[in-house]
Amino acid sequence: MRRLFTFALVALIAFTAVAPARAENGQLKLPPFKKVRLSNGLTLLLMEQHEVPIVSFNVIVKAGSLADPTGKEGTASATAALLRKGTQSRTADQISNELDFVGGQLDAGASFDYSNGAAEFVKKDISKGLDLLADVLLNPTFPQDEVTKLLKQRIDEIKAAKDSAQEVIGNYFAAFLYGSHPYGRPPRGDEKSSAAITRADVLAYYQTYYTPENTILAAVGDFDAAEMERTLTARFGGWKAPAPLVLKLSDPAPFSGKKLLLVDKPDSTQTFFQIGNLGIARTNPDRVLIQVINTLFGGRFTSMLNTELRIKSGLTYGARSSFIRFRLAGPFVISTYTRNETTEKAIDMTLDVLKRLHEKGVSEDELKSAKTYLKGQFPTTIETGDQLADLLAQLELYGLDASDVNGYYAKIDSMTMADAQRVIKQYFPIDSLVFVLIGKASEIEPIVRKYAPRIDKKTISQVGFK
Amino acid sequence: MKRSVAAALALVTFLSVTSPAQTFDIKTRTLKNGMKILVQEDHSIPNAAMYIFYRIGSRNERPGTTGISHFFEHMMFNGAKKYGPGQFDRVMEAAGGRNNAYTSYDVTVYQDWFPSSSIELIYDLEADRIRDLSFDPQMIRSEREVVASERRTSVESNNFGLLNEQLWAAAFTAHPYQWPVIGWMVDIENWTMADLKRHFEMGYSPSNATMIVAGDVKADDVFKLAERYIEPIPSHDPPPKVTTQEPEQLGERRLVVKKFAQVPILMIAYHVPQTSSPDYYALQVLQTILFSGQSSRMYRRIVDKDQLAIAIDGSFEFAIDPTLFTITAQPKEGVKPEAIESATYDELEKVKAQSVSDQELEKAKNILLATFYRQMKTIDGRANTLGTFEVFFGDYNKLFSAAADYAKVTKADVQRVAQKYFGEKNRTVATLVPEPEAKQ
Repeated sequence: MRRLFTFALVALIAFTAVAPARAENGQLKLPPFKKVRLSNGLTLLLMEQHEVPIVSFNVIVKAGSLADPTGKEGTASATAALLRKGTQSRTADQISNELDFVGGQLDAGASFDYSNGAAEFVKKDISKGLDLLADVLLNPTFPQDEVTKLLKQRIDEIKAAKDSAQEVIGNYFAAFLYGSHPYGRPPRGDEKSSAAITRADVLAYYQTYYTPENTILAAVGDFDAAEMERTLTARFGGWKAPAPLVLKLSDPAPFSGKKLLLVDKPDSTQTFFQIGNLGIARTNPDRVLIQVINTLFGGRFTSMLNTELRIKSGLTYGARSSFIRFRLAGPFVISTYTRNETTEKAIDMTLDVLKRLHEKGVSEDELKSAKTYLKGQFPTTIETGDQLADLLAQLELYGLDASDVNGYYAKIDSMTMADAQRVIKQYFPIDSLVFVLIGKASEIEPIVRKYAPRIDKKTISQVGFK
Repeated sequence: MKRSVAAALALVTFLSVTSPAQTFDIKTRTLKNGMKILVQEDHSIPNAAMYIFYRIGSRNERPGTTGISHFFEHMMFNGAKKYGPGQFDRVMEAAGGRNNAYTSYDVTVYQDWFPSSSIELIYDLEADRIRDLSFDPQMIRSEREVVASERRTSVESNNFGLLNEQLWAAAFTAHPYQWPVIGWMVDIENWTMADLKRHFEMGYSPSNATMIVAGDVKADDVFKLAERYIEPIPSHDPPPKVTTQEPEQLGERRLVVKKFAQVPILMIAYHVPQTSSPDYYALQVLQTILFSGQSSRMYRRIVDKDQLAIAIDGSFEFAIDPTLFTITAQPKEGVKPEAIESATYDELEKVKAQSVSDQELEKAKNILLATFYRQMKTIDGRANTLGTFEVFFGDYNKLFSAAADYAKVTKADVQRVAQKYFGEKNRTVATLVPEPEAKQ
């Protein structure tokens, strides 16, 4: 590949659904969709999309890894993955076979705030697809042998992931930034927590959190909306379960000062590093303005970060920054890598660019360019049925609505230079920073001391991420 | 588990069985300088995608300058005549566009994604670099570092990349597929400006390229722009023919890589024919039955039942010359890679001896059809798929006749290709063995 794909754009995008997306008067409009709340509390969202003969479903259960019991991180994620590993009428093998036979897709997992499943079927097999979807969501049995198998697998996956700094640095960063706040706990667990999870934990999790009142089901695709509403009501309307537990969560606090974690991976020829601090929540009112600035700072190929670290100096194949948004404040993180010998140079350069953002801000031309770029790229993030289904479900989860999409371009257009200056000051850290490095400690340890008064050390082979 | 620079070409072909709900209308034009243009109109979003496939890749290289195609791909973004260094990206992004590119063994592909209102600018940018690419020594210097960093990320810091590179190097003794697309590090360090210029002259004739535009455009407008911006660019001869053929492998090859790692990795490769071979469809069906989905033979046996691996993958890519079918497995803790080998060979022997079931055959065809629809969901997917078919099958219409080609595949065909290609003499086995941390 010529370049690193920056995911900042997708991570920041408000929900959008277009099928087809038409720009009228320079504004993008979400096509019509219907929201229905069934008597059992389940929320349905329906949108027709006839481009290709496919139907996409997205299911959100409003509980994720934050609800994992202490010491058993990974429970929510395992529960979601185990839904398709056996139901009252089907074994895991049967589910896989029936699913594969129609060329369908069915995957589920969990992030911090919610558990999430995505399913997709060719139109002609929608009836079979719904059989499977309803069965795994409503009637899972979590057979012991499947639970054991999956959890063992998880432990091996985590170990394997540690052979790639890129794959695990996010976990280390979150743990280091958040400390004891639940957002620091890894959604897929670690080696120790996965070993502690039992079938009873999984069952308890399912029974406590998988209830219709807690669930959103979005369907986008080649169907008739009224007919799909009838079908889904018939299949899911009878789902009965107790009222869900609502998790209380306290706001995380930004880190004050500077601290650095060095994770020794002795075979490294490159240092991977992340620098940042607390960012913003999903529904922060300045989120669009922040996205525009982040595009300029580290959110596209010609960003300030990438221009210095890749284009001008060749220190790295890619440097980027993102605001990862959760229900509460997620991290703001600058992310890049460089060969061992140029670690100090790259970190110094990154800090310089951050300083320059604060001291010089952005120009009128740059602001204009970022606005055009975001509007130009936006439609492709909401092109397909599965993107739309995901979007609709997320809008509902966070209490947003179609105006989030329909007003997006107007918000971008109305952004001023004063907005830019304010947003930089308010949201981009400068004096208080958290650093995480994964690299060859024997080569880079001497140079890290200047970045923070507090230096923590680990080795990659050590269990866990904190 | 992908070759870093060829990842995007790991497409699964598809099939449109009975009557697909969609027909995708394609209009074509060949310019006077030989470049063929394909246009697929789609007005669902106000965007378009442009792909330009150049028929040049690492297979056209020589030892000593391996990786030059990929390095050249990087240089295509670093300045031409009208748009100087850094301008290509800045100008495109300021107009709402984004771009990328990839290099494989066989092709170098340039990708632009933009609001359809910017299409003329895109043509201006592309024409400039196709005709008048410049080679600034400073840009060469910094881009060399970027490519070295890319190599470190995708190979030296990536155990899968590292092992895969060794696998291909061992499986091929003569043919250019032996060396990695990104090039050996020592070659990266030694490329010269003269190498780059020679490469440009060799591969970048408009007649050596196919352009695909998919999205919110009108075909006639696109052809007019192509005629205005691209047609005047002169053509020249295509790259010299690649005449080296890999000799038949006469016995199993085995290799080991020992390094610091948390877990081992196993890779097995078998020589299989090029995309244009009549065996292509049967091989694709075999691949689907063995590896696609959790009900597939290999997943079921090796991941689920015997619990030998946390993941197993098997596939082969589009290729102009005979290529490799590679199987990659991530052993579970405490499992010896040899155990996975035995189980894998056992499953292959079953297919060779008894073929597959009617149900599996039908399932595979259904999966391939569904995959086709997924590829066609986005204008990006369409542009890439059309271009890939045009280059590797010689005709984009093979996309739409794939249904009939797959329908013809029988259980006997699947058995036959299993017997023909998946034997001991034809395989190369690579294992990554973790070594304990070196004492400092």
